Amino acid sequence: MSDDDIIIKMIVLHSTFTLPSDIVIKVYESKADIMVKETCFGLIIEGKRSEVDRVVTEIRKLDPNRIFIKERGVPPGDEYRCRAGRGGGPKPGFHQHELEFALLPYFTEALDEIERGEMPEQKDTTPPRLTINKLKEIIEEEVKQSERGY
Amino acid sequence: MVKVFIYPSNSLILSDLVDRFGHEPLAVMQEIGKKIRTASLDSPPVNITPEDPKIGLKYAAVEVPSGVRGRMSLLGHLLEEAQAAILVREPDISFGCMGCARTNELINFLVRSKKIPRLEMNYPVTEDEAKSFVHKIREFLEGLTTAESGNGGE
Amino acid sequence: MEKESLVKIAQLSCGSEYSGIQKEIQTAAEMVNAEIIFPDITIDEIKVVGEEFGLQVASPDLKLMMARAKELVDGKVNADAVLIATCFRCAEAALVRNEIRRYIHENSKLPVISYSFTERTTSGTLLTRLEALTTTARRRSLLSREHQEGLTAGIDSGSTTTKAVIMKDDKVVGTGWVPTVKVMESATDALERAMEEAGITRDDIQALGVTGYGRFLIGDEFKADLIQEEITVNSKGAVYLADHQKGPATVIDIGGMDNKAISIQDGIPGIFTMGGICAGASGRFLEMTAKRLGVDITELGALAVKGMQEHVEMNSYCIVFGIQSLVNSLAKGSIPTDVAAAACYSVVEQVFEQQLQEVEVNEPLIMVGGSSLIEGVPMAMKNLLKIEVTVPPYSQYIGAVGAALLASGFIDK
Repeated sequence: MSDDDIIIKMIVLHSTFTLPSDIVIKVYESKADIMVKETCFGLIIEGKRSEVDRVVTEIRKLDPNRIFIKERGVPPGDEYRCRAGRGGGPKPGFHQHELEFALLPYFTEALDEIERGEMPEQKDTTPPRLTINKLKEIIEEEVKQSERGY
Repeated sequence: MVKVFIYPSNSLILSDLVDRFGHEPLAVMQEIGKKIRTASLDSPPVNITPEDPKIGLKYAAVEVPSGVRGRMSLLGHLLEEAQAAILVREPDISFGCMGCARTNELINFLVRSKKIPRLEMNYPVTEDEAKSFVHKIREFLEGLTTAESGNGGE
Repeated sequence: MEKESLVKIAQLSCGSEYSGIQKEIQTAAEMVNAEIIFPDITIDEIKVVGEEFGLQVASPDLKLMMARAKELVDGKVNADAVLIATCFRCAEAALVRNEIRRYIHENSKLPVISYSFTERTTSGTLLTRLEALTTTARRRSLLSREHQEGLTAGIDSGSTTTKAVIMKDDKVVGTGWVPTVKVMESATDALERAMEEAGITRDDIQALGVTGYGRFLIGDEFKADLIQEEITVNSKGAVYLADHQKGPATVIDIGGMDNKAISIQDGIPGIFTMGGICAGASGRFLEMTAKRLGVDITELGALAVKGMQEHVEMNSYCIVFGIQSLVNSLAKGSIPTDVAAAACYSVVEQVFEQQLQEVEVNEPLIMVGGSSLIEGVPMAMKNLLKIEVTVPPYSQYIGAVGAALLASGFIDK
């Protein structure tokens, strides 16, 4: 992995304070030699690893808990991955995006808590499994009750 | 900085959190990127050629479907590099590279058998679960040091 | 050939990109003037599809396939045909593949072809499938034809033999059957024999259909009205001759060198396999057995029916080693009837191993091709698969009959 490798990063934004265009301005201000494309989720930037990483660090500072970043394999507008070239359906990973995007506000709240130094008590939300003896008891009780009913 | 394998390997949130808390996420997008930028290959869309499922034979025999072996040829490299791992259960949220349940079972097994520090948890559905998810991941990542990763158990 | 219209094929698949064969699919599609499209759906549709469809599977990409199938059935996608493709040897995917195919067939008018691939799948393998699929999409009305009208001819230019038939008013009135030596000469010869039997001349023929591997050459030369691959034609021919034009059926065609197994719905092929990789699974194996037994190939079947294949030990299906086993058994005292039965069973077992792995077997099973006339072969198939096997009349002329039947759709043109 070299700093000169070309990489692509996806900046996903869910914020009422920051807009993709604000980030684009930030990218232009950085004078980095990278390509930027706005998307429905935020934006995609492509360039040398060193440049992309430098710009991404700056971008994150804009709204740290509402900007999420991951590397992406496919270049923006790739003819095989773009809906336009696929007769409608998006690239397969898109659906995972849709799903994760819906949860981002929750993650933001957790990150805000961390920032405030709050450490909520970790609760185990899964109820304990029913033992076979307990199930037997329940069945016997239910059978008795229904017999009484008739 | 520790190299952390994430599963699902194309997850935005896992990749982001690992990076945010100071470690290096090992994600399949990196491997896809390398493939796509290999100019000599002409096998769109992701430049996996019929040769790749053969590389996957290292992980599974010919009787295992070519799609599993092809995916393993992408992910195998990341597994080898992994010094720690975060595995999210209930993989029905993943598509594309992670869209095959059999591949996912194999990947999870290979990670577990590596005996590297590992965090396993359910994918969050509710707000409370999502918060707890982030806190657990942060705790796990902050506890990782280069020295303890890669050679110790959990 | 006429310039064909563009066909939009919706691809429902799992694993094609990771097997490295997506480009092969695209290439094959371009060759038949088709465009591959991927129906658009939302994550919410994927979440509920397992429940709505009733098939709960573990792989997300298979759920994606089901959601896309539903979108197609609901008419929300502009597609003319459907290609369903998943990895060979994946049981989970095979269940989804078959159920989606049935679902689309029962709930829409879209033609479907289903295929299971490996990394060795090439555009050449996919071409025949996509050719059959786009034909069904383009010629839906032609394929719905259930009766032959007027006076038409069909020629099936196969790799081993060339067959021709003349049909008049829904009946076969002349046949010709010759070994394929030179494609054109053999076709001319077969057609002339059929015409002689029917007592007609070339000028009397109102329409001509050709199929088989020599179809392009003879089609051009004879100015055929219909030039069609053999999967579509044989499917149509089989259900026509077996008088089972509606509902599911399975066609098994054991030819001289090449076999086909086709799963059919309403006369239209849905899943099929074509083989030709092993002579041990072909009529050639039976010819060699007949020669060793010193009988004519036409007598082998009657012998086999009287024999017990269990009495002969066969260690190989191979045309070399398998025949050797049979010769050894004769030397050890096996009787010819048992050896003939063992040969028939061996061919059928090999077809089962090679062709039926990815093809559903629905009744009726219609057996066609030259080997279907060797009585021991359909009998062995019946015993192996535990279902009734139908051998329709003129089963060895299946391609030629299918071509003549479909050609009658061109009479008015």
